[in-house]
Amino acid sequence: MTLHGFILRNALRNKRRMLLTVLSVALSLFLLVTLQTALRELTQPATSEEAALRIVVRHKVSLGNVLPEKYQSRIERLPGVAYCMKLTWFGGIYQDERNFFPQFAVDAEKLFPVFAEAEIDPRQLDAFIKEKTACVVGRKTMQRFGWKVGDKIILRGTVWPVDVELTIRGVYDGGIDETNLFFHHEYFDELMGRKGLVGTYWLKVTDPSVIPGLVERIDTAFRNTNAETKTETERAFQLGFISMFGNIKLLIRSISTVIVFTLILVTASTMSMTIRERAREIAILKAVGFDGRQLLGVIMAESFGLAMAGGLLGCVGAWLVYSHIDVYSLSRGFFIKFDVTPHILVTGLLVAALLGVVSCLLPARTSIRASVVDGLKELD
Amino acid sequence: MTIPLKYNLRNLRVRWRLTLATMLGVALVVAVFIMVMALARGLKATYVSTGDPRNLLVLRKGSTADTSSQITRDAARRIKYLDGIARDEHGEPLASAEIVVLATLDRLDGAGTANVLVRGVGAPAFALRPSVRLVEGRLIQPGLRECVVSRKIAERFANGRVGQSFRTGKTVWHVVGMFDAAKTAYDSEIWVDADEARKAFNRDFYGSILLRPVNDAAAAALTQRMESDRLLQIRVLPETEYFRDQTKMAGPIQFLGTFLATIMSIGAAFSAMNTMYAAVGARTREIGTLRVLGFRRRAIYLSFLVESVILALAGGALGCLLSLPLNGVATGTFSWTTFAEIAFEFRITGELLAKGMGFALVMGVLGGLLPARVAARKPVLDALRAV
Repeated sequence: MTLHGFILRNALRNKRRMLLTVLSVALSLFLLVTLQTALRELTQPATSEEAALRIVVRHKVSLGNVLPEKYQSRIERLPGVAYCMKLTWFGGIYQDERNFFPQFAVDAEKLFPVFAEAEIDPRQLDAFIKEKTACVVGRKTMQRFGWKVGDKIILRGTVWPVDVELTIRGVYDGGIDETNLFFHHEYFDELMGRKGLVGTYWLKVTDPSVIPGLVERIDTAFRNTNAETKTETERAFQLGFISMFGNIKLLIRSISTVIVFTLILVTASTMSMTIRERAREIAILKAVGFDGRQLLGVIMAESFGLAMAGGLLGCVGAWLVYSHIDVYSLSRGFFIKFDVTPHILVTGLLVAALLGVVSCLLPARTSIRASVVDGLKELD
Repeated sequence: MTIPLKYNLRNLRVRWRLTLATMLGVALVVAVFIMVMALARGLKATYVSTGDPRNLLVLRKGSTADTSSQITRDAARRIKYLDGIARDEHGEPLASAEIVVLATLDRLDGAGTANVLVRGVGAPAFALRPSVRLVEGRLIQPGLRECVVSRKIAERFANGRVGQSFRTGKTVWHVVGMFDAAKTAYDSEIWVDADEARKAFNRDFYGSILLRPVNDAAAAALTQRMESDRLLQIRVLPETEYFRDQTKMAGPIQFLGTFLATIMSIGAAFSAMNTMYAAVGARTREIGTLRVLGFRRRAIYLSFLVESVILALAGGALGCLLSLPLNGVATGTFSWTTFAEIAFEFRITGELLAKGMGFALVMGVLGGLLPARVAARKPVLDALRAV
């Protein structure tokens, strides 16, 4: 019998116990992967090369204050600015308050040049730009409500005292976020009865290197006006929101730590059960000439195998589950992508590997150190 | 005839290492469950305690939060002097036209900025909200750019102490007082004079009106009167109801708590099962002996089940103990309704502890059922022969 065969036989000796241990490790790693994915989704705004070219101009006091319309032409004239687009949060309700998804009024013809990573059929884009009450919607939101191109929808204003009636003229894919709805700022201005209610300006620059100078120049240009601005990169803008989640992040981190700790505990107790049962065998092995290192290797290989089997089951299981269920609809729009990234998978498997090694150390040491005579005296 | 409990307790003690590890596993599951739920409870409690059942809140029709509501100055004036509104000792109506705006302030710990709610209030605001008490300095005076800040804001943001001042845009606000809002949502706010706020933040309107009717009948009449007025286009609701609506924010956290606890307890039940199978295996001979002594299969079944439950309940109790220090710890999160941070405290209630113990009980039963059956079904002779 080879050493490998010996280890495998040992692991399978108590099938029920092995199964229970593997399953409990798998469940815990499933949770760990879930939490890490949630954490990533909450803390890391999706980025792309395109995003590095965008900066956001908002009112210095807060997002709740609006900027004048005349800023647009002034910003557009600055060197390095490719596009300057109005983007105003509408925050309307579609039928029921629970149907939350982001809606924005934008300059229709600039939308796709600015968010160049989003893809849309050119004919749909054309139809959207031509019609003032048209809108384009991200693929996910279309699916969530079962909308089709050509449908008419009404959004009840909450932030603004108007309701918008829109016709869906296009669907876009990809890009930062497939849940948004965009409609004409012109139509919004018309409903509000005046121009100059602009939430933010989103700029696309010609080259990332111009950003630092441009940020400075824009903020200086509007200093000491009634509406001073705060300009920052898209990433900084989004991180600003995320920092306010503060404690939730800490919460998820601590829960993850507790899970890992519990795991070690559970696996270690299983391993110690296994090892104690074999005290006699270990003594025999020692008596026939195996040394401590070899014995530790045998024990560790078994515990490592158990932990990795559970780890693979949990991590790959989580990946399979989350790539097949529609987390976006299930969480009512709270989570958008819920991608289990390779990074998270690898982290999960590393935790499993570490678990396999750590959990057997203590029980293995105790039984290896025990004298051969004591070991042989053990009944079972 | 049942097997005495002492038998189980002694067994647990003899195998103390395994007992302790299993107990800790259960304890951690229960502790995580209680902590997450305490977060949701705290958030809810903050909102629920904020509303005063005697007050009515007036918002623009269609708006869901006072940050996004608009009420014209004309309408505010008309509403303020309607019949049926209670008066203070000077004969002024207890109605406060308010406006809530967001300001971006620097955090004290240097970790960037955060949105804070600045509430422009009328003079009756304090009388309408008895939970808000001034603890330092004085109240704001109308017509001056002064503010009072909640204790929590003063502790977390730069320049928030009495005597200091901070800027929003071109306006400098002097901090003249600090208040304590008894853990209500106002604990996350800064209060200034409503008309000064309108000027400083360029608003031509108020956001909401909080008022106190003289009695319930007057409340009903006022609601009917204001909502039926087509020119006003407003919505009137009890203040308590408004804040109860905000508690839905706790939904995702509650979901997280239940989700975590469910999956983790299945895992912990597996480990309890492992422990119990091992216990049954190691005591095969004892089981045989017990049977020979005349204990029935049912008694043995029950005894092992009880042992598993005792193990889990002890773990559950430990979990409750572990989570208790968190009670009252302050925390904060971001609200999508107001776009600002809301401060609140973890709140552990007896009911929550009971639920945690409930989870432990389920884990104990699930972990014990199968091993207990195996124990009860062992043939007597085979069991006795086992080494």
